[in-house]
Amino acid sequence: MSSAIVRAVLSTAVALFVAPLAIALLTGVDRRVTARLQSRRGPPLLQPMYDVVKLLAKEPTVSNRAQIFAAWTYALAAAASVVLFCLGADLLLVFFVQATGAVFLVVGAMSVPSPFSQIGAQRELLQILAYEPLLILVFVGMYMVTGSFDVSAIAAYPKPMLLELPLLYLVLGFALTIKLRKSPFDFSASHHGHQELVKGVLTEYSGPFLALTEIAHWYETALVLAICAIFWAPSVWIAALLVAVTYAAEILIDNATARVTWRWMFKYTFPLGLVMSAANLAWLYVR
Amino acid sequence: MFEKLIKLARVKSPWVVHFDCGSCNGCDIETLACLTPVYDIERFGGINVGNPKHADVLLVTGTVNHRNKHALRAIWEQIPNPKIVVAIGACGLTGGVFRDAYNVVGGVDKVIPVDVYVPGCPAKPEAIIDGLVLALGKLGSGDTASARAAAEAIKGLPVESAGRPEEHS
Amino acid sequence: MCPAGNPMTQLLVLLLLAVPVLAATVCAAIPVRSVRTAVVLATGLVLAAASVGLLFVGRGTVSPPPIGNVSVDSLVTVGDFALLAIMFGYAIALRSVIVGLLVVLQAAPLAWFEFSVLDHTTEIPAFAIDNLAIVMVLVVSVIGSLVIAFALPYMDEHEKHLHVTRSRQPRFFFFMTIFLGAMNGLVLSNNLLFLYFFFEVTTFCSFMLIGHDGTRPARESAHRALWMNSVGGVAFVAGIFGTYGVARTLDLKEILSHGAGGALLIPIAALCFAGFTKAAQVPMQSWLLGAMVAPTPVSALLHSSTMVKAGVYLVLRLAPVYAGTALGSAIAMCGGFTFLAAAALAVGQSNGKKILAYSTISNLGLIMACAGLATPLSLTAATLLIVFHAVSKGLLFLTVGTIEQQIGSRDIEDMWGLYQRLPVTTSIAIIGIVSMMAPPFGVLLSKWVAIESASGVPIVVVMLALGSALSVLVYTRWAGMLLAMPSLSHPAVPERLPWLMKAALFSMAGAAIALPASLPLILSRVVNPLFAATTHLQDLGVSFVHGHGSAVAFLPFYAIIGIGVLVTNAMSRAAKRVRFTSPYMSGVPGDFQATSFIGPMNERVPVVARNYYLSPIFSEGKLTPWVNAGAIMLLIVAAVGAVR
Repeated sequence: MSSAIVRAVLSTAVALFVAPLAIALLTGVDRRVTARLQSRRGPPLLQPMYDVVKLLAKEPTVSNRAQIFAAWTYALAAAASVVLFCLGADLLLVFFVQATGAVFLVVGAMSVPSPFSQIGAQRELLQILAYEPLLILVFVGMYMVTGSFDVSAIAAYPKPMLLELPLLYLVLGFALTIKLRKSPFDFSASHHGHQELVKGVLTEYSGPFLALTEIAHWYETALVLAICAIFWAPSVWIAALLVAVTYAAEILIDNATARVTWRWMFKYTFPLGLVMSAANLAWLYVR
Repeated sequence: MFEKLIKLARVKSPWVVHFDCGSCNGCDIETLACLTPVYDIERFGGINVGNPKHADVLLVTGTVNHRNKHALRAIWEQIPNPKIVVAIGACGLTGGVFRDAYNVVGGVDKVIPVDVYVPGCPAKPEAIIDGLVLALGKLGSGDTASARAAAEAIKGLPVESAGRPEEHS
Repeated sequence: MCPAGNPMTQLLVLLLLAVPVLAATVCAAIPVRSVRTAVVLATGLVLAAASVGLLFVGRGTVSPPPIGNVSVDSLVTVGDFALLAIMFGYAIALRSVIVGLLVVLQAAPLAWFEFSVLDHTTEIPAFAIDNLAIVMVLVVSVIGSLVIAFALPYMDEHEKHLHVTRSRQPRFFFFMTIFLGAMNGLVLSNNLLFLYFFFEVTTFCSFMLIGHDGTRPARESAHRALWMNSVGGVAFVAGIFGTYGVARTLDLKEILSHGAGGALLIPIAALCFAGFTKAAQVPMQSWLLGAMVAPTPVSALLHSSTMVKAGVYLVLRLAPVYAGTALGSAIAMCGGFTFLAAAALAVGQSNGKKILAYSTISNLGLIMACAGLATPLSLTAATLLIVFHAVSKGLLFLTVGTIEQQIGSRDIEDMWGLYQRLPVTTSIAIIGIVSMMAPPFGVLLSKWVAIESASGVPIVVVMLALGSALSVLVYTRWAGMLLAMPSLSHPAVPERLPWLMKAALFSMAGAAIALPASLPLILSRVVNPLFAATTHLQDLGVSFVHGHGSAVAFLPFYAIIGIGVLVTNAMSRAAKRVRFTSPYMSGVPGDFQATSFIGPMNERVPVVARNYYLSPIFSEGKLTPWVNAGAIMLLIVAAVGAVR
């Protein structure tokens, strides 16, 4: 029993401290690679950490108190979801915890009458509308293969799920693109260095509260990449390779595509994602 | 110990917002050229955020006229401290060749406190980056013109470069 | 079969049924306000206490003894036909051919059944109390008591608004309390004819209450509710006929013990259709939408927490018969489709009550879907949803009613920045909205169990995933509207709420927060024994941490939430160093709060922001025909499934 507690404490520590820092480093690599793709030199690898420290040390400035509440809830929910994931909890629950944080981000943005914030918030809602059902279907696919929704059971599955859920992995990639705020699905707030509606849903968050949203974003990225990783649960190395390849593909797609409008996304990409999910699930059901 | 880390982070991550106060766009084009691969301020950690709430550095071009001084003031106020202001181009310094026009205020420092002046007409991208790096030193030390102006306002001293009283024109 | 209940049980059942009737008579007969207040509050207390008592001691069946020389069965029969006669009277008064026709279609077969088919000599226990009935009784009695308590000050204000000279509150509370008694009777009934009687009483109460204000939209909506529910009544009578024809008994417990499938499926399908109409499933949803013209307590009580739950209760109760059959799958698909369709329709709405109505229909569809799947896990999800949805939705309706009385509008666009005008009411509204959407609150947890239980059926789970995302959209933008803070000043008019309304709202909000904490207890003591599901939470999949699927697992989760709330609250309150700036307008704000900006010619242009309603796709007019068409197709499939 005590070894279980030790394991739980360790998992929590890894989730809370190691995961975001690893993602911060990954983001730094992302910016460097993107810069090189654009024939620039790019920032140092630790740049995201400098950014966050600088933001934390800024004077707290808000338009109203709801933003403070929203930023903290977003960060805490994102952190809690990663902790729950590392503790092996139920995937759907992990997702709902994270979704609560995302909801509060939108609520905080809607509380300010700035036009960028308002439209950004509405678009963010549309993005949530796009990836939420597809992620749930990915989890259902995992359940159909492994027989459980628990991360611990899925991670212990002896065969790689990728071979049985190829289409659902692509759908997960679609959700990952939205979560990373990369082109072509970054119409609510684009990632670093890019602007959409100035900064869309993040426009009115500043200083330490913007740092909180950034940290929350690290946790969310950690979560989605971890979900990508368990698609090849048997081998840690291949899982890492899978995540690396996926992320590299994301960078490539980001630099190669233009931003789409939400109408375009709902007309073409979203139905395609639904059809792919349904096809994969149907195949699993029938065989 | 944290002080050193914060200072380092501030110097390493200057986020820029650029505001055109009636410029002929010459300095603006040179400013935006800094973002291009040839000059690339992102290697210094700089990003053009376009939003005062996310910014540390305010780059101002143009002469500032009686209409957009209110907007300039509003944007400057929305930037969280510590912040630095860089006035770019001859127009930004003193009003340039348009100094005597009736609608021109004549220089950014007549509206908001300025830290660094970058001369030129237009100012070269190298000069702009040079000015930015100079300003970074001030950002790290915390001795910015905005901080001084705020301190003087608190002490009740007349604030020289804090702009004229609100005139609605 | 089922052992007869002890005298305590009999007493409690008597209280649950008789006290509301008595109270109703007093309310109607004595139009004195203080008497009415006392009677209503006392009724609420008695009902709540009796339902809790039933939880602890009541089990078994209850057969009421004859009153005088007349058996209760005969009384119910007389009541049935009297009610149908009254409805026919209204059909004539309203010149409604369809209602008249539907009443005749119920009365004639019923008469033939009662007087020539039914064998009156067999004794059937009239009421049977098991855990499902107790859950429903608790929902009805506790929430019902809070709602009628809320209604007392609400209706005073309501009548003031409408400039009503002679108070119609006696009539209002007559029907509200009668309704509570009827609901209690409905969920406790074991005799199908009794069930039918109470079913029709609730239809009639709904008709009278929707039309309470007497305005033209009210009368039209009431008429529509009456005929649509009467269609359900006709289906019910047909179901009774068919069931008796196959099973030769009206005893519900005996019917259910027949097991799944067989010739019973067709009459059971008819009964399920009656449940569908009562629960306003698509394509029969328009009566519930129209019912939103009624005063808010009516919407909170009838059309979200209790009466519509009678429909899903009926379908849930009949689960043993259609479990695993094609009919069951069809019910699941119809329910899932309703869940998705109603959530989509809610996206295009800005009327607060209509949003709640569509959300109610949507959640009822989810309960139907869970019932149709009929696995122990899904039936557990259905029961939990009934409870938690009733609490949260009732709370939201009461809050919207309070808001409407204070600002004069029920449109969510008018609720922008409401937090600063009505902080207490808005906080409660936020609690209600969050309790519908977020973990660890009940509705989301039940939805979670529901999705897990549906995972074996891809079509249903796809619909559940889509509908769930749509409902997040609807509620988030509402919460965003409420929490907008366009100004830093204090409200000019301080908020004033009558203490009784405040008490009711706070109690419901407290229940919404605290009840999910007792979820392990609810599961282990009440729900698990019901569906013969295992008693280990982790086997139900309701575990948070693998290997620790016990009640203990919930506590760290609540701890996380608790810490989170405390931290965020502390941060937002203690932010003294925070500097307030105006929002970024990319121009000159007209004032510090940016309620306007300086536009051309130096004029102030007011800032106006509206939600995306995506009306080209989601507007009610555009989407409803498609939804109805799809639903009718699915119903046909269900009927075919029943027949085969």
